[in-house]
Amino acid sequence: MQAPQDDAGAGGTGDRAEAQGGSRNPGDSGSAGSSEGKGSLSGPGHLSDPRGLEGRSGCDGQGAHGGPESQSGPAREGAVGEVAVATPQCEQAAHAPGSRGDAGPMARGSRSRLLEFTLIVPFQSPLEADMAHRSLAPDTQRQPGVVQKEFTVNGSTLTIRWTAEDPVLFRISINSFLDRLSLVVRNIQRLGLPASLKQGRGKGPES
Amino acid sequence: MPVVLGFEGSANKIGVGVVRDGEVLANPRRTYVTPPGTGFLPGDTARHHRAVILDLLQEALTEAGLTSQDIDCIAYTKGPGMGAPLASVAVVARTVAQLWNKPLLGVNHCIGHIEMGRLITGATSPTVLYVSGGNTQVIAYSEHRYRIFGETIDIAVGNCLDRFARVLKDVAERMLSTGECTPEDLCFSLQETVFAMLVEITERAMAHCGSQEALIVGGVGCNVRLQEMMETMCQERGAQLFATDERFCIDNGAMIAQAGWEMFQAGHRTPLSESGITQRYRTDEVEVTWRD
Repeated sequence: MQAPQDDAGAGGTGDRAEAQGGSRNPGDSGSAGSSEGKGSLSGPGHLSDPRGLEGRSGCDGQGAHGGPESQSGPAREGAVGEVAVATPQCEQAAHAPGSRGDAGPMARGSRSRLLEFTLIVPFQSPLEADMAHRSLAPDTQRQPGVVQKEFTVNGSTLTIRWTAEDPVLFRISINSFLDRLSLVVRNIQRLGLPASLKQGRGKGPES
Repeated sequence: MPVVLGFEGSANKIGVGVVRDGEVLANPRRTYVTPPGTGFLPGDTARHHRAVILDLLQEALTEAGLTSQDIDCIAYTKGPGMGAPLASVAVVARTVAQLWNKPLLGVNHCIGHIEMGRLITGATSPTVLYVSGGNTQVIAYSEHRYRIFGETIDIAVGNCLDRFARVLKDVAERMLSTGECTPEDLCFSLQETVFAMLVEITERAMAHCGSQEALIVGGVGCNVRLQEMMETMCQERGAQLFATDERFCIDNGAMIAQAGWEMFQAGHRTPLSESGITQRYRTDEVEVTWRD
C-alpha cells in the first residue's frame, strides 16, 4: 500500500492531552467501576488517586499521576479496571540527545538511556485480564527492538512493561496502547461476559 | 449456512458487515472526512474508528436481525493499510471473537474487494482492476493465488488524483497564471492519461490470460469515466465488463465478511497469537484454497 506509513499501532502525533493528565477519549462513556486501586506514587508534590491504577516509571520513581476525570463509582457488573496514565518526567529523558525534534544527528553514544514504563491494569477477573491480553498483544511494532513491550498476566492483573531508547516512539507506543486498551475495556463492558464463557464452554478462537 | 461478521477499517472508512451464504444481510459504514485540502492521518483516523466501531457492530446485528449466537465466524482486515486504524479495528475483532467464543479470520483487504466483486457481479474468473486511494493493482487468478500482473510503484491512483489538488495550488501556479490552461484542463489531462494507463495494463493482462471478463473494484472504480473507458476496451475485445456500485466499490465490512466466508468454508482459521495486523500484505501471499 502506498499510503503514508506509520508504525503499527502508533497513535500518530505524540502531543496529545489524553496521555498527559488522564483526560479521556471523547468517545468513551464513563467506563468506571474499578476494583481496588493500588495507591499513589511516591514522590513529593504528586496527586494520589486511590481508585486509579499504578503506573510506574523507571526513572527515579517520579512521575505525574493522572487519574480519570470522571470519578469511578463502585464496581459495576461487567466493568473492568480503570487505567491511569503516569508520565515519566525524568530529567534524563527530557534531555536525551535527539529528542524534542532536534535537527542535528542523533549522536546518542553513552548518553542514551533506556526509558522504562510499567502499567498495571487490574481487571474484574482473570478471564478478562487474559482476554485483554490476547486482544492487545498480537499487534507488534513494525521495527521490533526499537520499543519493547512485555506482557504479564497475574490473576486478574495485566501488566505491561515498555522499554525504549527513543523517547518519542516510547511515548507514541504507550499512548496508542492506552487508546486500544480503553477500547477493549469498553468492548467487554458493552457486550458483557456471557455465562457460557465464564463456565468455559464452546470452541472459541484458537490461541 | 454459515454467517460471517466482517470488520473493515484499513483507511478512513470503518464498516461492519454480515454475510450469509452469499447474501449481504447488513453493511453499515462511516467515513472519516477531513477538511478540504487536508488528508487523513493514521492517529486521527484510528480515533474516529474507535469512537464508532461498537455502535456500528450493534447496527450491523440489528440490521441483519441477528444475535451473537447466530454468527459463526469473526473476520477482520489483517492488512494491508494504515497501522493505527488496522490495529484499532483488530482489537475489537479479537475481543468479540473471545467474548462470543467464535473462530477468528484475518482477511487480506484486496482479496476482500475481489471476492465481493465476484459475488455481486457474478463474474466467474475476471481480470481484476483494483484501484483505490491506497492501492492500484491489476490482478488475475491462477493456481490458487491472486497474482499481481501490474501495480503502481509509488502512489495509488486515488491518492494521486487527490494530491493533484495541491499541485494545482502551488506548482501549477505558473501554468495557470499565464492562462495557458485552466485547472479543468490539467485535471482532465491527468485523469485521461492515468486512466488510459490503467486500461492498457488491464488489457495486456487480459490478453496474456486469454480472459473475457474484466472487473473493477476499489473506490476509484466508482468513476464513470473509468468505467466508460474500460467498457470501450472490453467491447473491442468482445469481453464483458463488471463493476459494483459505491456500496461495494468503496471499502466496506461486508466484503471482509464475504472473503471471510469463503475462507471459513475452506477451513482457514487465524489463531489469536497470529492475528497481528500488517501494513504490507501482498495480495499473492494468500493461498486461495477456495477456488480451483
